[in-house]
Amino acid sequence: MTTEATTEATTEVPAAPREYRWRMPANWWTRNRHYFLYTVREFTALPLALWLLWLLVEIRRAGDGPARYAPHSSTAFVVFSVVVLAFALYHSYTFLTLAGTILHFKVLDRPVPARLIVLSQFAAWAAASVVVAFVLIWFAHE
Amino acid sequence: MPDKTITVRATRFDPERDREPRMQSYEVPFTDESMVVLDALNHVKSHIDGSLSYRWSCRMGICGSCGMMVNGTPKLTCNAFLRDYWPRPVVVQPLNNFPIIRDLVIDMDDFMHKLKSIKPWIIRKQELPLGAGEHRQSNEQIDDFRQFSECINCMLCYAACPVYGLNNEFLGPAATALARRYNLDSRDQGLKERLPVLGEAEGIWECSFVGECSVVCPKGVDPAKAIQQTKLDTTMRFVLPYGNRE
Repeated sequence: MTTEATTEATTEVPAAPREYRWRMPANWWTRNRHYFLYTVREFTALPLALWLLWLLVEIRRAGDGPARYAPHSSTAFVVFSVVVLAFALYHSYTFLTLAGTILHFKVLDRPVPARLIVLSQFAAWAAASVVVAFVLIWFAHE
Repeated sequence: MPDKTITVRATRFDPERDREPRMQSYEVPFTDESMVVLDALNHVKSHIDGSLSYRWSCRMGICGSCGMMVNGTPKLTCNAFLRDYWPRPVVVQPLNNFPIIRDLVIDMDDFMHKLKSIKPWIIRKQELPLGAGEHRQSNEQIDDFRQFSECINCMLCYAACPVYGLNNEFLGPAATALARRYNLDSRDQGLKERLPVLGEAEGIWECSFVGECSVVCPKGVDPAKAIQQTKLDTTMRFVLPYGNRE
């Protein structure tokens, strides 16, 4: 025991080998198609937020009277809205598609297939869109 | 020298001499359509440059040792066929997101620490005596976790995960998949011991669902699914009444 302790004390501890620290390159999201699509998906939140801010400004103008609320007459707002709509559709598509991976439940002790979950999500989305469109058109005619 | 050859460009890094990794090219005979990248590396090691360092063991996609970046994609080199790359060169690099020890060998300590932290074994509140018999499971109970038990700890998912690349405190895909494998096992009673690790800031909530971990997994484990479903389950435990009771 004593001999072992003495040996340990006099043995030089070898220095830890030097490692090369890997660093993520700034352009990592351009190196793979999936990374790029993921980055676009995450980025879509930003134009959506900007569009909502712009809409809030337009709604505030409506406080000065109906004539002041005219976002549809602004070409910039219309163009920006179309671009944001594309982002929103892409975000919705990815969100609903991924639902098949996230949601998991059983019916009659059998797991519901992911494809069926995704289909039901898109069906619910389509139904909700029809209801919202109907309400908007209905009030526009009133 | 046979007519048909393939160029293998491999990362070289000698920690005692090099400041950073460099690439070195080798011409390897491509004699057989069934040759894989690992065969090419073994040819280099045996016939051209014995100093090339890399990990490998089983050569049949089971041990998970030979994971490397092949033309920028994390792959088991024993399962990456040269015919899919020839006549272009094959670029072999160490797995992304990990420190490099030498050449193609990465430091896997961080992963091993994370793997241990989720206690990837069956935890019982009280062990039954052997005489009480085996823990019986139905096929449906096995199906609940079977997919996640296929993980071979090859770490390709960590190399594919940009979240781990940007923040290596993240628990990561394989560790979460294995935690879910045991949490779903009807014999296991260790959920409450794993939840603190899974639920901390650098656990499942760090994942933003890139999904590339599942794309590169050579065993079809789908770690992204394990992470998202664990997020949902832990949320339901928090939201639902009596959710935290067992």
